[in-house]
Amino acid sequence: MSEIDSNKAPMSREEQKAFQARQKQRAIIMAGLLLFMVVLFYLITIVKIGAGS
Amino acid sequence: MTTASHSIQGLASARDLFALTKPRVMSLVIFTALCGLLAAPGSIHPVIGFTAILAISLGAGASAALNQWYESDIDAVMKRTSGRPLPAGRMDRETALHFGIGLSVFSVLLMGVAVNWFSAAFLAFSIFFYAVVYTIWLKRSTPQNIVIGGAAGAFPPAIGWAAVTGDVTLMPVLLFAIIFFWTPPHFWALALFVNSDYSKAGVPMMPVVAGRRSTRHQIFGYSMVLAAVTVAPFILGLAGAIYGAAAIALSAIFCGLSWQVARSQTSEPKDMAAEKRLFKFSILYLFALFAAVVADRMIMA
Repeated sequence: MSEIDSNKAPMSREEQKAFQARQKQRAIIMAGLLLFMVVLFYLITIVKIGAGS
Repeated sequence: MTTASHSIQGLASARDLFALTKPRVMSLVIFTALCGLLAAPGSIHPVIGFTAILAISLGAGASAALNQWYESDIDAVMKRTSGRPLPAGRMDRETALHFGIGLSVFSVLLMGVAVNWFSAAFLAFSIFFYAVVYTIWLKRSTPQNIVIGGAAGAFPPAIGWAAVTGDVTLMPVLLFAIIFFWTPPHFWALALFVNSDYSKAGVPMMPVVAGRRSTRHQIFGYSMVLAAVTVAPFILGLAGAIYGAAAIALSAIFCGLSWQVARSQTSEPKDMAAEKRLFKFSILYLFALFAAVVADRMIMA
């Protein structure tokens, strides 16, 4: 285990900053997509119930 | 260390994940699927119709991601594709594979739950066909690869149709056949003037394997079949006069341009005006033809 796994080595300050910025960006987009899906599934449900009755 | 710093510890950016779905190809998929959906007899609620198009688009994006997961070695040596997220080192292959599989499963489930399970199964088959039959199996083993790939690209209008009707009749089969026979002349015209890149990547593209002369003759041959298939819905009474007029006019121009390609002798990409003209027109051809399918149905109805 003498070799350093670069993927698991601690990040430098700048790397950590960039990593967290990217994490944040992805989280915001994911939240937006989830919200969109919630609205879409709500509408699909309404349409399906309407068609069934 | 370089890879880690590019992809930031294995975390791909949202922009690269989006690029992995080939958004430009997706725009054609959305358009043809929408035309299939609008041309189908019967009606579909706008919300369900929107969901069907969304599911087809996500399925196409998933296919593109799986395609790039498998082809990163080819993409790396071709100028046109070397900037894609995987060959450029901005994303690891595992991320692309997980993203592709996740998106495939989600798109099929969305289609099944919201629309109908026939079109969901159809969508699942089209993803399998593009990712496995075309990308993994046939692309590297036969110069007819693009013909097979064309079949994968030809599914969206038929799936759009199936979203409305829950089945497949002769008309969606003809819509499928139009894109199927359109793809070889469209793509080989491009492959003629970007020939060198494919030979470098070892992909058996037709101009590399059979030569330019044979490719040009095959372009013309496929164009004739395309013209016959395109006019068929009108002759068989499945479409009206608006479609018929558009199909005949567009196909006449297409055949004229591919005849010029068939007669072309040049081996210099910069002199290939006929090939470039055919390639540009082929894109317009498909958009105009599918718009005519919808216009015909809307006006006739």
